Amino acid sequence: MTGTGIGAAVPRREDARLLTGRARYGGDIPLSGMVAAAFIRSPHPHARIGNIRADSAGQVFTASHLDGVGPIAPRWDGQGFFPTAQRPLAADKVRYVGEPVAVVVARSRYEAEDLVERIHVSYEPLPPVSDAQQALRPQAPRVHEDNVLYRWSAAHGDPDAAAREADVLLRIAIGSSRCTASPLEGRAVTAWHDGRTLCVWTGTQMPFLIRSALAHCLGLSENTVQVIVPDTGGGFGQKMHLYPEEIVVAWLALRLGIPVQWIEDRRENLVASTQAREEQVELECAARRDGIVLGLRAHITADVGAYHVFPTTAALEPLGVAQILPGPYAVRNYAYDILAVATNKAPTGAYRGVGMTVGVLAMERAMDMLAERCGLDPVEIRRRNLVPDDAVPYRSASGLVYDGGAFQEALDRVCALADYPRLRDIQRVAQAGEKRVGVGVACYVEYTGLGSATFRRRGMVDIPGHEAAAIKVDPGATVRVYLSFPSQGQGHETTMAQLVAEVLRISLDRIVVERVDTMSGPHGSGTFASRTSVAGAGAVLRAAAYIRERATAIAGALLEASPKDVEWADDRLFVRGAPLRAVTFEDVAQAAYRIPQGSGITPGLEAVEYFDPPAPTFSSGAHLAVVEVDPRTGFTRVAGYFVAEDCGRILNPLIVRGQLLGGIAQGIGEALLEHSAYDDQAQPLATTFMDYLLPLAADIPPEVRTIHLEHPSDRPGGFRGMGEGGAIAAPAAIANAVANAIGVQVTRLPLRPEDILSLLERGA
Amino acid sequence: MKPPVFDYYDPLTLEEALGVLDQYGDDAKVLAGGQSLMPLLNMRLARPGALVDLNKVSSLNYITVENGTVRVGAMARQRDVEVDPAVARSLPLLVEALHFVGHVQIRLRGTIGGSLAHADPAGELPALLVCLDGEVVAAGHHTAPRTIPARDLFVTYLTTSLRPAEILTEVRFPMPPPGTGSAFEELSRRHGDYALVGVAATVRLASDGSINDARIAFTGCGPIPTRAADAERYLEGGRPVDGLWERAADLAARDLEPDSDLHASGAYRKRVAAVLAARALRKAAARAAPPDRGRQQ
Amino acid sequence: MVNGQARELDVEVRKTLADALREDLALTGTHLGCEHGVCGACTVLVDGRPTRSCLMLAVQAHGHDIDTVESLGTPDHLHPLQQAFWEHHGLQCGFCTPGILMSALWFLRERPHPSREEIRELLSGHLCRCTGYLQIIEAIEAASGATGGRRQ
Repeated sequence: MTGTGIGAAVPRREDARLLTGRARYGGDIPLSGMVAAAFIRSPHPHARIGNIRADSAGQVFTASHLDGVGPIAPRWDGQGFFPTAQRPLAADKVRYVGEPVAVVVARSRYEAEDLVERIHVSYEPLPPVSDAQQALRPQAPRVHEDNVLYRWSAAHGDPDAAAREADVLLRIAIGSSRCTASPLEGRAVTAWHDGRTLCVWTGTQMPFLIRSALAHCLGLSENTVQVIVPDTGGGFGQKMHLYPEEIVVAWLALRLGIPVQWIEDRRENLVASTQAREEQVELECAARRDGIVLGLRAHITADVGAYHVFPTTAALEPLGVAQILPGPYAVRNYAYDILAVATNKAPTGAYRGVGMTVGVLAMERAMDMLAERCGLDPVEIRRRNLVPDDAVPYRSASGLVYDGGAFQEALDRVCALADYPRLRDIQRVAQAGEKRVGVGVACYVEYTGLGSATFRRRGMVDIPGHEAAAIKVDPGATVRVYLSFPSQGQGHETTMAQLVAEVLRISLDRIVVERVDTMSGPHGSGTFASRTSVAGAGAVLRAAAYIRERATAIAGALLEASPKDVEWADDRLFVRGAPLRAVTFEDVAQAAYRIPQGSGITPGLEAVEYFDPPAPTFSSGAHLAVVEVDPRTGFTRVAGYFVAEDCGRILNPLIVRGQLLGGIAQGIGEALLEHSAYDDQAQPLATTFMDYLLPLAADIPPEVRTIHLEHPSDRPGGFRGMGEGGAIAAPAAIANAVANAIGVQVTRLPLRPEDILSLLERGA
Repeated sequence: MKPPVFDYYDPLTLEEALGVLDQYGDDAKVLAGGQSLMPLLNMRLARPGALVDLNKVSSLNYITVENGTVRVGAMARQRDVEVDPAVARSLPLLVEALHFVGHVQIRLRGTIGGSLAHADPAGELPALLVCLDGEVVAAGHHTAPRTIPARDLFVTYLTTSLRPAEILTEVRFPMPPPGTGSAFEELSRRHGDYALVGVAATVRLASDGSINDARIAFTGCGPIPTRAADAERYLEGGRPVDGLWERAADLAARDLEPDSDLHASGAYRKRVAAVLAARALRKAAARAAPPDRGRQQ
Repeated sequence: MVNGQARELDVEVRKTLADALREDLALTGTHLGCEHGVCGACTVLVDGRPTRSCLMLAVQAHGHDIDTVESLGTPDHLHPLQQAFWEHHGLQCGFCTPGILMSALWFLRERPHPSREEIRELLSGHLCRCTGYLQIIEAIEAASGATGGRRQ
């Protein structure tokens, strides 16, 4: 089927309601008698909490009311982990500005905010820890008993020997600043106990984990908690954590016996939702004079804020950096050590590209700097080091097995796409004039579609690793699909329907992908880490295959033919070679529930299937960025952008392109604009959209040209995960382009115009 | 982020509005386009006892060009001024400056008077008014209206010399003499953001091609917009030769003490001020037409 | 008038137009992304002009015509602008989309055949975190061809 199956550029089913204002996001849920909650949050980064009083009528709820409600305490099975427990409302201490301390409810958010202003909390400020270096000093204030929340090191091969043999020992230090996912829709939680079930509407990426966690924290059995995922306005990893506010709102619904709603405002989102990145990588690269990298040694320090987040913990990001750092290069000797350090800032969590963005940033900067040291073109040095296309599958120095990847091909094709020699000519010509032009390349490989094996090996106890899909065909022949993984804009209602249409050869109109709801849907891990097209699709394809088998058997019975001889096309099932001997899909659905006498058909046409990917599936690519820098002001624009990506078989080209472009835009933001800055007293500085600068249309180049190398994976459907590639590689490509334009090392993102100007001056 | 409680008045006439303001003193705030005030209300950074909404006072919404002045009622929308053909002909610098004010969606509702009364230290219109030596008219309850020249209007961050019970009713932008070239240059982190640094410049050439006079005004370089008097004096009588604009620009930036913030340090702003001033002067000179030539270059 | 119908509401003076539309009129298509006038998600048309409804008080709407995304089309009858967004994947999570549609509606009336640069400029008044903007630009460009300058 060409029109609506795998590979079809099907416009999305969900758009009908999204375009016409009929979507229901978390803030659009109206329940009779609902009250609005508002939080009293700490203005101090580190303080003991004294007494809390309200100078008006109206109740304020504090930690003492929630005594016995479980804290957020993610687990880790492995060494080097120092656990933390975050009470849903802070009990004796606050550890970051914005930490929830108390909550009030009122008829409207307006009145709730009035009430908030009448609550007085007395604090005894304590000295704050504002950065990782400070946190590591012996006399530093204690955020927790141990300021190091996770430490780990590993070595493969003999990096010391490599360093001794090397002709070149390159040492770089590169840092990425704190940023935040900032989805356009902030968090929103609505909770209501209807007498039997605690219903929680929350725009989460992991409904089943939230259900388990809420049940656990509130002392309920899991089957009495239902998590429903409304339309969600972006997630990007930020919405894959359990938040204190979620627990509190659920608790309030139980306590008050009425529906309670909390809608996060933008200031809360920028200050108190999880933030991301903030790592410093010290990388030593041992190489031969012909540019071949012999070994790597990396020291990674992550500033992870005040607490571990659930379920991924503070280990996730720096561990990801370490594991992906060697990238698509044939490096055999690699040692790393990681420190995840607590500070009095908002907890950091997952954000598109998790770990991989900074790993790629470090390695790709090193490659460019090594190229310069060895007198090589940056593309040439990569050619010499990339794992050859015929060496795949390839076991990396960090133990990852790349199951796919035509890294050389990607690099060649992106250079051809961008006409690399011509860009260098343009650059030479530009040097004579006002603007500086720079070209930057970033090659990357990315793990996607992780399953339980990976999570267990890492020590992530709280993430199951499987996904699931249930398909129910009703007597009217509507095919309802229930997923374990919700969408925050990735178009699951379309892509998963395309998979079913591909297998069942029925029209897309018959297929309805239902809203994700833990009551009706099968259990799974959720949407994150580019897993939908691998883990999710795997489950959907299996379920569809089972339906096909059952329906074929029913058709066979109806047609008095062997199921082996039944074929499917265009909503019909017919006997091979005798197309008039046919039944419609509707006939089959009917027959499944109104069994014809003597047919031998057993009732029902449903499937529930699970898929737990046995190992990561790897996507990869090469990005090329062109920047123009005004050397008088440091102002920089991205003038061109090119991508050669391999995400395996493409499910829906419109959607794949959208994911890539969206990720690139976030990468541009991370490279040039975005910074969740804190001052040296750990006070957040970027608390509104005037200070936290998301990229605008004017910040994106007029054109982004992309090509896809579709080397299929061994997973069902041949897909590789995708969605994060843009966010993984763009910061590195742009950092390299800027460094190339100004001829000076870049050691920190974001690069404000002032930073670029300072670098230029230092280099002059 | 919801506004706190306040009293609300939507008078139909200026007199009514002034009457309410008089009652409340400095506990009332005037609501014009709302593009600056409403965010402050939503964030509860402003907590007036009363809002006096001028949007129904139609007598404050007009644009006239006469006697060498562009006179704009305080409630004229920025966008309406931006696209007005008479303004484009008579005062292109105003149109150019307006292009930098936020985004079109902001300018469709934001007002000329509101923007000036708000006196954001990185706003474009205050610098423009100061560059042109414009003035505003302020009305008070039971007092005669007074004119406030631009140089006396801006006091410090977000503060004008308007008295608590006064309303800014009209803005007057004097048109520079015919043949004067002008330019507005600005750098902001993103398109439409408040300026990191902005410069408004005019250059008038004499018939022999020398500089008759030049004006330079900065925004984003301190609590209020400033004119670069020393640089302007330096340029008077000068000849537009290589390096002149740069020397003047360096002189103009020399005494600036811009603030530092998340986006840029004061030192950076000072440097860039010089770069922008040179660019603006050069552009303005290129657009100037000396009297005997009588056409734009 | 809201979406062509005369409506009467009793609201607190401090209530924003955005909240009144969403809560009192159940027109939840208009979204709140920042409440300080930067993101544009709350954009509606006031007397035909795009306005950030989070920066307007509901009482200020008295006597004016307000149009929200709900007035544009229905799932069965999409407005050509919505149709173009659908065909060109001009939305992902959809949260910023209603505001952009209303801005674009006004824009295409003013400028029936815009250049890409002009579309980018219009879009600079809106934040989108999902799409990276290019497919939105393509959608608006396609819509400008489709509406062919007809007044909608």
